[in-house]
Amino acid sequence: MKKSIVVFCLLLVFAGTVWAQTGLKKKRPLPHDYGKVVINNYSERAGLAPVVFDHWIHRSKFTCRLCHVDLAFAMKAGATGIKAEDNMKGFYCGTCHNGKMVLDTKVVFEACSKTAPEDKKRCERCHSIGKNVKKEYDFYTYTEKFPKERFGNGINWEKAEEDGIIKLTDYLEGVSIKRTGMVVQKDFSLETKVHGMQNVIFSHRKHTVWNGCEVCHPEIFVGVKKGNTKYSMPEIFEGKFCGVCHTNVAFPLTDCQRCHTKTVQQ
Amino acid sequence: MPYKNGSAIISGIVLGCLIGIFVPMASYGHWTLPPLAPPAEYGNILINRTSERNGVKPVTFSHWIHRQEATCRVCHFELEFNMKVNTTEITEKMNKAGLYCGAASCHDGKAAFGHEKPHCEKCHNGNISYGKEKFAEVAARLPRSNYGNKIDWAKARNKRLIIPLHFLTVKPSKDVKFTSKLKLDAEWPNIPPAVFPHKSHIQWLDCNNCHPDIFNIKKKTTKHFEMERMLKGEFCGVCHLNVAFPLQDCGSCHPGMQSE
Repeated sequence: MKKSIVVFCLLLVFAGTVWAQTGLKKKRPLPHDYGKVVINNYSERAGLAPVVFDHWIHRSKFTCRLCHVDLAFAMKAGATGIKAEDNMKGFYCGTCHNGKMVLDTKVVFEACSKTAPEDKKRCERCHSIGKNVKKEYDFYTYTEKFPKERFGNGINWEKAEEDGIIKLTDYLEGVSIKRTGMVVQKDFSLETKVHGMQNVIFSHRKHTVWNGCEVCHPEIFVGVKKGNTKYSMPEIFEGKFCGVCHTNVAFPLTDCQRCHTKTVQQ
Repeated sequence: MPYKNGSAIISGIVLGCLIGIFVPMASYGHWTLPPLAPPAEYGNILINRTSERNGVKPVTFSHWIHRQEATCRVCHFELEFNMKVNTTEITEKMNKAGLYCGAASCHDGKAAFGHEKPHCEKCHNGNISYGKEKFAEVAARLPRSNYGNKIDWAKARNKRLIIPLHFLTVKPSKDVKFTSKLKLDAEWPNIPPAVFPHKSHIQWLDCNNCHPDIFNIKKKTTKHFEMERMLKGEFCGVCHLNVAFPLQDCGSCHPGMQSE
């Protein structure tokens, strides 16, 4: 009996520390750092610097779906477990970074290769943490003419595509499967649980442009039927559900009213 | 500056022995409240992330000047200024590109002075009491309070004696209705509970200024913000130690308590 009380008390203390919060404001990332992913599954063990992956340059050329569905990239840094070998065989990064693919009249540089280049300069284009590498594209020069908005990268990516400033590739010959279009569901509202907070308008139309169906269904949102997946705002803040993308790559959760737009009739 | 309060002294004498049996004396510990800056310097900060390294004097930033022009929301939400000095990576290049201080309708050379000579020393002066004379003029025409800048900023805004901008590009909705006052029980039995009005905070802030970083949004998880942690600059102390009315002003949060 005594033992169980002690265990119970310890559990309470543990629960207390889990629930405790820091009470401090987090630092906001700079526009060029938003969406930056550091990958270090095997790099340092192989004597190389960890890889820095910038979403901003890639999303200005490709849809999310292409990499996260067709090329099978996971949604969490390090979770894909990319090996140099995989890239050499033409998987993952190596699908495009093969020294052959031509994009905007430029040949896409080759990712990993068996014969390491002598100056290692090519390796350091990706394996760049702590290397002070001058990247081919400077964020601010590259995005100078892009429509601006606040938060995240400070770029309105949706408008950039609408205005034709960026043209995204969604299909790779020999990799992607030809799909027939589906009828997109109308926008719908999601009710909030907190009194006084506006409802969320969710647009399938906006999301399917870059994500198709498979980025979200069935893994993140199991149901195709409304109400099947139960989730809460704290879970989203923890990086689940909408937070899978909207805490680190898509526009951040900073601006509540970007989603919570519909006034509830009271 | 030791912390005491009126009701604690009176009830301490009368009920001292009784309560003393049940409550450990440690809970009556006297906190040391951080010393207050003079009114003209309260909320002033010296920013020296890279200034001196680049051969210029540190930047003096006065909250009291800026909060007449814009609410907290504009700078700490829209313009993404962090909440701790020297953590925002402000550079001349960034400012000139329209970020941070240089945002359109701020220091863009039109609405307020820009980033060229002869304006450099208006910020890069390294003088924490810069603009003291101007402060006296401002304080004279605004309602008084007893702490901090000794200006009742909330009253000044409600009476429209100051009309700060509340947004630049991200317009806040008028429909968010958080009007209820939250009641928070104090840690000590003889201290009246604190009240938290969302309404007066929304007048200056966006939801995101406080949520979810400083205060998460899980219900009933706010039990961990003891005064001690606020005094370390956490929770309410993020703002109420250095810019908003300071913690010396007990009665403003714990109605029924005398301020120090």
